[in-house]
Amino acid sequence: MKYMNLSIEELHKLLKKGEVTSKDLIKESLELSHEVQEKYNAFVTILDDAKETEVTDNLLSGIPFGVKDNYSTKGVLSTGSSNTLKNYVPFFDATGYEKLKNVGAVMVNKTVMDEFGMGGTGTTGHTGTVRNPWDRTRMCAGSSSGSACAVAAGVYPYATGSDTGDSIRKPAAYCGIVGYKPTYGMISRYGLFAFASSLDHLGVLTRNVKDAAIVVDNMKGIDEKDMTSWDSSNIHLADSLDGNIKGKKLCYIKEICNLENYKNPSEELTKHLNNFKDKIDLIRKSGVQVDEVSVDNTLLKAIASTYVIISCAEATSNMSNLTGLSFGPRGKGSNFKEMVKDYRTKGFSTLIKRRFVIGSYVLQRENQERYFKNAQRVRRLLVDEWKKIFREYDAVILPVGTGPAKKLQTDSLDILTEGTEALEEHLQVGNFGGFPSITIPDGFIDGLPVGLNITGNCKTDANVLNIAYGIESLMNYKNQIAKEEK
Amino acid sequence: MSKYYPTIGLEMHCEGSETKSKVFSPAKNEYSAIPNENVVAIDMGFPGILPVVNKEAVRMSIMMSSILHCRIPEYMYFERKNYYYPDLPKGYQITQNPPEECVGNGGYIDIERDDGTTFRVDIDNLHLEEDAARSTHFLNTTTINYNRAGAPLFELVTKPCLHSANDAVLFLEYMRSIYQYCGISEADAKKGQIRCDVNISISDDENTLGTKVEMKNVNSFYAVRDAINFEIQRQCDLKDAGRYDEVVQETRRWDEESVSTITMRSKEDALDYKYFVEPNIPKFKISPEWVKEIQASIPELPYERKEKYINKFGLTPLNAKKLIKTKEISDYFEECIKLGIDPKEAGNWINENIIAYMNKNELEITEIYLTPKMLKFILDNFNSGKISSKQAKEIFNKVLDEKKEPSNFISKENAQISDANELGKIIDDIINSNPTQVEQYRNGKDRVFDFFVGQVMKSTRGKANPVITKELLQKKLNK
Amino acid sequence: MGKFTKEMVDDYADKLLIGLTPEENKLVLDEFDVIDKNCDIVNSIPNISSVEPMTQCLDDFEYELREDVAIKSDSIEDLLSNCEEKENREVKLPKVVG
Repeated sequence: MKYMNLSIEELHKLLKKGEVTSKDLIKESLELSHEVQEKYNAFVTILDDAKETEVTDNLLSGIPFGVKDNYSTKGVLSTGSSNTLKNYVPFFDATGYEKLKNVGAVMVNKTVMDEFGMGGTGTTGHTGTVRNPWDRTRMCAGSSSGSACAVAAGVYPYATGSDTGDSIRKPAAYCGIVGYKPTYGMISRYGLFAFASSLDHLGVLTRNVKDAAIVVDNMKGIDEKDMTSWDSSNIHLADSLDGNIKGKKLCYIKEICNLENYKNPSEELTKHLNNFKDKIDLIRKSGVQVDEVSVDNTLLKAIASTYVIISCAEATSNMSNLTGLSFGPRGKGSNFKEMVKDYRTKGFSTLIKRRFVIGSYVLQRENQERYFKNAQRVRRLLVDEWKKIFREYDAVILPVGTGPAKKLQTDSLDILTEGTEALEEHLQVGNFGGFPSITIPDGFIDGLPVGLNITGNCKTDANVLNIAYGIESLMNYKNQIAKEEK
Repeated sequence: MSKYYPTIGLEMHCEGSETKSKVFSPAKNEYSAIPNENVVAIDMGFPGILPVVNKEAVRMSIMMSSILHCRIPEYMYFERKNYYYPDLPKGYQITQNPPEECVGNGGYIDIERDDGTTFRVDIDNLHLEEDAARSTHFLNTTTINYNRAGAPLFELVTKPCLHSANDAVLFLEYMRSIYQYCGISEADAKKGQIRCDVNISISDDENTLGTKVEMKNVNSFYAVRDAINFEIQRQCDLKDAGRYDEVVQETRRWDEESVSTITMRSKEDALDYKYFVEPNIPKFKISPEWVKEIQASIPELPYERKEKYINKFGLTPLNAKKLIKTKEISDYFEECIKLGIDPKEAGNWINENIIAYMNKNELEITEIYLTPKMLKFILDNFNSGKISSKQAKEIFNKVLDEKKEPSNFISKENAQISDANELGKIIDDIINSNPTQVEQYRNGKDRVFDFFVGQVMKSTRGKANPVITKELLQKKLNK
Repeated sequence: MGKFTKEMVDDYADKLLIGLTPEENKLVLDEFDVIDKNCDIVNSIPNISSVEPMTQCLDDFEYELREDVAIKSDSIEDLLSNCEEKENREVKLPKVVG
């Protein structure tokens, strides 16, 4: 019995034909969950009592999936991978999850993440580090680490994620799978634990583009509980996929992609960028126009700081509700302040505490102009720059990160170092502008997967996915399941 | 009071009690005696909740902004005010800032004093925000009730433009009545729906400003008056003693028990609220059409009603002023007019009898049994001469005390005798049987007239219409 | 320019109701140093102060406000199900003073 490596459509057909039951699928998925948990530590909760559902005409009915632990799930522990919420059982569902539940999709586990989505390593969750299923000495990246790991390891065809900087799209690349974050507000944020509200997106991790389209088709929609959500009822993602990309116009940014911009590039970086250029050639051969464009380096260099300033500022405010008073474990102390301080000091990881202090600093009255407001201004300049590109091109295509998954080290993870390059952080522009953005695997370096990203203008999700769908079919990395060499 | 010139600025918070749901959450906006009865996840700040703006609360804020002659922005948005406090579940309050981006910016309102003079209050801004939860303090513990958390709150900030406690209170009273007249709030200070912060400074003359001291949470208009007067005196005393440097920019608390102000925190400890734009509420456009529609729906305001009562109904300014004191009283009066009661008569009855009854029994006009219809019934009977003014008053009291329709107290038995023929016969009998007194009267002893009136009343057991009785007696005795 | 100091870091942390170890304090300063240098670059962008800060993703202003309709309250059991200290129907705290 081995079904969980199949795509959603394949599973649906089997279910419809009666060759397999929802119960069988759940059983297999749960067994795999325990295996993967043992090896890679991908889950906060495994729902051993998950119940089968009726198989309907909906493609997701009866099929198991995973949910990132920052989705509020009614009656099911939802920790955000934080000690501050280690026992928190919500009484309401996140809209994005509720919609999947309502069509008969079956949640079988809650996945580990970087604490509250802050971090890109998968090492800051309160239940420990998530390991990469291609090489357990490496990271999955984050923050949707557990979701990426589980989908890559073949636990189920998809898991939900959230993406504030690159939290779906980076781990997807490191795990050799697809990660898609639709346009801001296409999926309601209600019930997603807020990290940085103006940058937070819900999305999905899958092993092929069509599955991503199918899942988001079922998650999206205007929600009266989220003012920033919008009506996308005229957008049908899966139905729009025809793979016909001839004549599409793409571009890459030379300051990011050209090897000669980097002093003493590592072997990995060289291979990664060369692989990307090879894939660009492949795409061109299929009749897609791919141009090289230039973006002001000052702006590109400012991406990382802009992101840190805005996200830390919003996060420090968003997480002020975490006091341990009306939910969460009570801190010790003889008064309100002591109690809350004890709870927060013990509950948050080092990384988060640091970011809160920075976020608070940049919001101080005397500092706002120089830091927070200027970051918001650079945000606009970057978004305008990308929108200018979108006037001429369907999408921007760029390599993800500086190479394959990094080694897990205990030091220096997630500290913004001066050498940080635009290559590592450019996906954040997709959050600044709320752009639809999808990562797909584009090859291997030393046996480890790498990915490329396609980002288009707001609300052009169908076009962006179709381009990804077309490019995916030019390569051989669709539906791959992670396997460790050793 | 002294040789110094006081300057006062006010911040008036009014809870919008008349929306059905809260300002950023769809939970019921209603006072409940049961704790946490009107609460949804949003009001307690659970992870993942989002605010959604209530259109009605925005409508109310635009109406108030219009009444205060404020500039209304083309686009509206909200900001977060960040601080930790047990009654603030999210760790921030959704509010509006800076003043030029608030639903009301700039503006003014003219207020009338009792002596007929007026003064202008300049408005800095009016903004819409959410209320905090309610804390209840016990000996060793505090409990938090989220019923009020998220209720709409309108905060009105004046410029430092007031110069006496009396003017400050007059302004607050008038604003309270506007909130009531517009159906925005019950504006009941007893329910904590009105809360004020007061800024005070003193200076040598009107061209300079002294050191500003802020007083927080002054929760009744009496307290506002007392707090202002206390604080002015405190500052003046220090200045007189050459210790004005002890007046520092700080926040003080008005303590009702000790009737004094107490230091809360100094300027150095002032919190930095780290305001920034609430990202979950997109900027939304306020269409000029909507603003026009709202402005057209502003009801007749108290001063307008007062003018009407004086100019159209011929009431005295004092009576008119009393009638507009609350919307309920004014509405009661207008209902009486609609029913056809003479305005002066209605005004007198309300201001003298009804208000006295309300005060004595601590009732609102909406809580008394006597309706305008019942009042009309009583007055109709009085005006047609069926009952005397004394009887009218008695029936009025019986209706209120026994909570029964006035018709129960008007019967043939006790009806007034106004029929001239019937009275004429009785008077003839009395004249005939008292020749001595008739003689005395006709010889110029006017006092005897009262004897005859008394006799008529005696024989009718007080039911004779006194006016007609007197007329007939005069006619017959002078024959 | 008012740069971040060790004392300021601790003061901010305290106002955020969190405690930092000396190591965490140092990490904040190191990370902040990088951000601050980047801000110098940002400030060198011509006319940066004339750019309208971008506070939200979509510059789309046609939003519907919520109609004023109240929904059913959540049950008291649900509301307090994650609260460790309650009294009757309320959240209980040590006495709050001032």
